[in-house]
Amino acid sequence: MTIGGGGPRGGHPRLQMPCLRKMERLIVSMQDPDVGIKMRNQRLLITVIPHAMTGNDIVEWLIQKYGISEEESLHLGNLIVKHGYIYPLKDPRSLVLRPDESPYRFQTPYFWTSTKWPATELDYAIYLAKKNIRKQGDLIEHEKDNYNLLHKRINHTWDFVVMQAREQLRAAKQRRKGDRIVIECQEQAYWLVNRPPAKNMDHYKREIEYCRKAMARTRVKSSICLEGYLKFNEQYVPHDPIMSGCLPSNPWITDDTTYWAMNAATATTPTKLRVERWAFGFGELLADPLGRAQFLDFLKKEFSAENLSFWEACEELRYGEQSRIAAIVAAIYEQFLAPGATRWVNIDSKTMERTLEGLKTPHRYVMDDAQMHIYMLMKKDSYPRFLKSELYRNLLAEAVIPPETKKRVFPFMRKQRHSSPSPALLLPAGDAEAKAEDKPRGPAAAPVPEEEG
Amino acid sequence: MVKEECKALLDALNKVTACYRHMVLTIGGTSDSQNLREELKKTRQKAQELAVANRNKLTTVLKDKTVSKEDKAEFERLWVIFSTCLEILEIDMRRALELGHEFPLNVPKKHLIQTGMSGGTSGVAARAMSIQNMKYEAEHNIDVVDLKDLENEINQVGEMMYEMEMKVNVPQWTVEAKQDPGAELKSTMSVGASSIGMVSVEENKSFCDISKVLAGIIFSAVLIIAIVLAVCVVKLS
Repeated sequence: MTIGGGGPRGGHPRLQMPCLRKMERLIVSMQDPDVGIKMRNQRLLITVIPHAMTGNDIVEWLIQKYGISEEESLHLGNLIVKHGYIYPLKDPRSLVLRPDESPYRFQTPYFWTSTKWPATELDYAIYLAKKNIRKQGDLIEHEKDNYNLLHKRINHTWDFVVMQAREQLRAAKQRRKGDRIVIECQEQAYWLVNRPPAKNMDHYKREIEYCRKAMARTRVKSSICLEGYLKFNEQYVPHDPIMSGCLPSNPWITDDTTYWAMNAATATTPTKLRVERWAFGFGELLADPLGRAQFLDFLKKEFSAENLSFWEACEELRYGEQSRIAAIVAAIYEQFLAPGATRWVNIDSKTMERTLEGLKTPHRYVMDDAQMHIYMLMKKDSYPRFLKSELYRNLLAEAVIPPETKKRVFPFMRKQRHSSPSPALLLPAGDAEAKAEDKPRGPAAAPVPEEEG
Repeated sequence: MVKEECKALLDALNKVTACYRHMVLTIGGTSDSQNLREELKKTRQKAQELAVANRNKLTTVLKDKTVSKEDKAEFERLWVIFSTCLEILEIDMRRALELGHEFPLNVPKKHLIQTGMSGGTSGVAARAMSIQNMKYEAEHNIDVVDLKDLENEINQVGEMMYEMEMKVNVPQWTVEAKQDPGAELKSTMSVGASSIGMVSVEENKSFCDISKVLAGIIFSAVLIIAIVLAVCVVKLS
């Protein structure tokens, strides 16, 4: 659609939220004359308005259509009502689905909740002006406040608001009585959803907290930020297999898995690039299992291996199973924190106090402070020494640079590139169709040849 | 007078915009029909003509250097009203496009939402076009055919608004509204009738009426007594 980006003014680039789209689909499926909800008539003093349904009908229909329990159906119905797709007729201010005989009606598509078309101040002002005229000045408390607020805020278009309100009322008079009532109900329901009456104190407290945090966020000048970004890219470019190629060869292209074998966690001699990468940052060293093992060896020589073990145990706590949390916390305490522990870690007294307090109610993040302390200790102290140590320098010297595989001179001797065997062939029962499809591809699905040795 | 002409044009545009919004509200509901789509087409074409006329008139006036200060302020106010009206028109046109795509009329699988409306919108359309009765002469698949035109027209309106912003320099915040809060109540609008028949009937009206009736009765009683006394005095003297 060309409208979305449209014209120099730019369109409305927002998309409809997926949950709202799902609700819309649900509402449309309710309209089916065969399997949708059955409608009743609403009788007012003189007029009869069609297309009303009871709360019970809605709940029953949801249970039947989706095969869910009554509780879930009620919850789903409540969501639909809260978002304004269905509105109650008896008690319009309370947007809940009552599973009894209380009547409800569908909202017109124009008034459906939409992130693409948020409710604007101008529309709200026009609505309040219309209500003011209809009720001869008798608005509800919060509506009066909003009215005065809007008069100040959009004062420059207030004349338009009044003009438009009058005209809209005159236009509505051209419809028949029943439709006029429905339109009023629809509009009222729409604004009850989009401008709910009162927000409690909690909401404002949360808003204040959020704004305060937003102000306190650290901001970096974009020039500095971009410099950092450039440095990062320069540092990592030689390590990127796509940008700088990978040695011996890219397995995806040549079907030769040496690259993966050499860089596996269990490899004995690491490649040079890999060892260099450990010098980029402490995180890189810890992320690589081989690097971590080497670091552990180094720490053992320095008699501070318990730091790394403690850190690993804390990681296990943070990312482990909920059911094992209490057990892990107890184990950590015994091994690392208790006064006479075998592998006692050196944490400062304040953090130790706080951690010991927290041990009374163990949870996933109870060791966070201590873990951070030990992590920073290793990073500031042991890590630089590791990089300057003999161990590391030997590793760097012994690290291997794999040779690039020689390209074949004669093109027709080059290994045929082919896709890996189709997974359909591996199916036990398999369709005859799938097998028949694979037949033309059969000859190409040869196993990896041992040409490149 | 130029001012009156401008005001009249603006009122006309305002009226058509209100009618257009009213009609866009009914898309997708049970009042939706081919007739409605045709009405939408005619109404928005009329709205566009009026918008162009308004723009031309107002831009010539605003460019005119011989206009007095108060007049200029007045024209700027009218300009702000005009641009807001156009914004609302554009938004409604976009929504009409979106709803038109979502609710095509001749597809049997796609059902209209049962919103409780049963009447048509021909009265509203007639009001917008300022004629007595609407004539329907479009083909039966106007709901699909019209959408292309609608897209083009939305682009046109968008460009017009951009041009307006670039060419005319009227800062919106300098305009002050003439109407105070509650000004709409002073007009002679008899729209109270619609509240009768609503489910939540207000009893306030009846109380006011009773007090008015009581006051009337007391006043007329006092008047009668005064007349009787005067007659007695005349008779006795």
